[in-house]
Amino acid sequence: MPLSRLPRSRRDLHVLLQVDLLVNLTLRDLRSKYKRSALGWSWSVLNPLVAVVVYSAVFSVFLRIQPSVGDPSGLDSYAVFLLVTLLPWQFHVTSLTEATRAITANAPLVTKIYFPRWVLPTSSVLARFLTLLVEMAVLLVLIAVLQGHITFQWIPVLLALMLLQLLFTIGLALMISAANVYFRDVQHFLGVALAPWMFLTPILYPLNMVPADKEFLGIGYRTLYQLNPMVSWAKAYRNVLYDLRFPSLERWLAIVAATGIVLAIGFRVFNRLEPRMAEEV
Amino acid sequence: MAARGPNAIALDGLGKKFRLTHDRNWTLKATVLAGHRVRYEEFWALRGLDLEIPHGSTFGIIGGNGSGKSTLLKVLAGILRPDEGTATVDGRLSALLELGAGFHPELTGRENVYLNGAILGFTSREIRRRFDDIVGFAELDRFIDEPVRNYSSGMYVRLGFSVAIHVEPEILLVDEVLAVGDHAFQKRCLDRFAQLKAEGRTIILVSHDLDMVGWLCEQTAWIQQGTLRAAGPSPEVIDRFLDGGAAGAPTASGPRRRFGGLGPDDLVRSVDLVDANGHDVDGVGSGRPVRFRVRYDAGRADEPVTVALGLYRADGTHVASINSGAASRAVDGNGLVEVDYAIGALAVQPGTYELSVALHDHSMRTVMERHTHLVRFEVEPTGGDHQNGLVALGGTWSARSDGL
Repeated sequence: MPLSRLPRSRRDLHVLLQVDLLVNLTLRDLRSKYKRSALGWSWSVLNPLVAVVVYSAVFSVFLRIQPSVGDPSGLDSYAVFLLVTLLPWQFHVTSLTEATRAITANAPLVTKIYFPRWVLPTSSVLARFLTLLVEMAVLLVLIAVLQGHITFQWIPVLLALMLLQLLFTIGLALMISAANVYFRDVQHFLGVALAPWMFLTPILYPLNMVPADKEFLGIGYRTLYQLNPMVSWAKAYRNVLYDLRFPSLERWLAIVAATGIVLAIGFRVFNRLEPRMAEEV
Repeated sequence: MAARGPNAIALDGLGKKFRLTHDRNWTLKATVLAGHRVRYEEFWALRGLDLEIPHGSTFGIIGGNGSGKSTLLKVLAGILRPDEGTATVDGRLSALLELGAGFHPELTGRENVYLNGAILGFTSREIRRRFDDIVGFAELDRFIDEPVRNYSSGMYVRLGFSVAIHVEPEILLVDEVLAVGDHAFQKRCLDRFAQLKAEGRTIILVSHDLDMVGWLCEQTAWIQQGTLRAAGPSPEVIDRFLDGGAAGAPTASGPRRRFGGLGPDDLVRSVDLVDANGHDVDGVGSGRPVRFRVRYDAGRADEPVTVALGLYRADGTHVASINSGAASRAVDGNGLVEVDYAIGALAVQPGTYELSVALHDHSMRTVMERHTHLVRFEVEPTGGDHQNGLVALGGTWSARSDGL
């Protein structure tokens, strides 16, 4: 259990968190990702750009979904409404997809050298997180242009939200990357699960379009819907970046609880499955 | 180095088992349907192993293929967890199991040094301090900012070795990696081992090369079928291994005693001494022509093979090593391939000699198969004059007294 021994000094903490290994593996991921492709890093910009154009056309123009008007910001743009949740969602998807294979794809390394294995899924999540940081910075500029002024005061809140999402994603990545070593079905299951998961999260439409008055087995649709932890993140991101409003206390509690639980389970599962990884991978 | 106990490594009843699942289709569905009772056989790769390796010693581990050597090494390196007993490692350990295992082909040599170092447990600051030494030892100053995919296999391996050796481990595990690189690099590796040994570090060498083990290691352990057969001073253990190894092998008649013997699964089918007329012979006269003939199954090798021969005197002295280079690769065969090494005059002194054979892939980086001391043969005296030493110089005497 990497977190069971309490560090006594900065050096201990450095070693415990495997700072150098994480930095180097994350850099490896980022540096090698677009090597030998003509467009290089432009691909990482093209991906959300195409998504915004297509989703805007289908959901805003064809299906006429009305984005809620930002309160109190007064923003009324489907593209911004979409982007503030789509970028974190795409981080969620790419992180999990790549982290699933983080251990199996590094089998030569895992069977030849001992190092704490949790750094493999963690570093692939970190690499995607750095991409998200850049994308969010661009989005902030876009919002500032539309608003006419820069919204510096929301940056710390946004960063806190992103940091919690990072930890939540690491927890999930630990679970599924370890499980995938034993059952390769996990990576296929993930591919199947991610699409419905996206449609069950308020990314393309506002949360208030989910009926609050209908019930399923005596439980309200809205209540069931909110069991999905990504709903809290989507709503909170939209509060901070679109409405320019501080998310409610309940929202924060739900987010912190989900992060804590998933991270704890993630480490537990990973540590249970780690000893035989070199044999099963 | 703060040595805490007397032993760098202590094994106490160590056991490691593997599951041999006969049906590799090990999916979630299969597990659910079988009710978590997937059928598998247990196989103990190591069992009841007790061994103590003191700090500062050089220790060899020998044994036949499948004896559990590599499993033991992986347990010591922390890659595999024991299922029984304990393996206690006291001190910072570095394992040379595969050189450059952590290299990413698209990254430059420089980036890979930092990456590989971090995987081996180095901080970036520690690597920065030793960076010039690492690059210097690997002799890659001009290429360090090139992507390693452009490196030759030799460059790749040199860089991997250099990083691993500069981690300054208290305990160094080495698995058969000395068989790589050119002669000059091998010599520098051995010098570096000698230096580490002089600094009081513990070196554990797992090898098929008994000469190397005998030369480098004071103590040796012989492992057979996952249990310890013998441990003690290297010459004694190696002798016992050679005797024991021969006992189970098919014995050939006459002086051509086959040590390891060739199994039905080996790629090498036969190794023979052939005279000028193409007849098999059991011995050769000193200074006379001879051919070493190796036949191997190219159909099962999957890739072009380089044949390497090692000639040793019976006392273990290394006389010569040669490899077939491009010659054997030019033959494209799907069945048996026969490679001859023709010697015009075998310039060695009379005595008993042994031939080792190894098959490498074309890059010489991985050994596909190695048979140590496979064929033993006699070099018979020719001519009347008395000689001693290693080499038969083949000269002629003449004497004169007039006109001086």
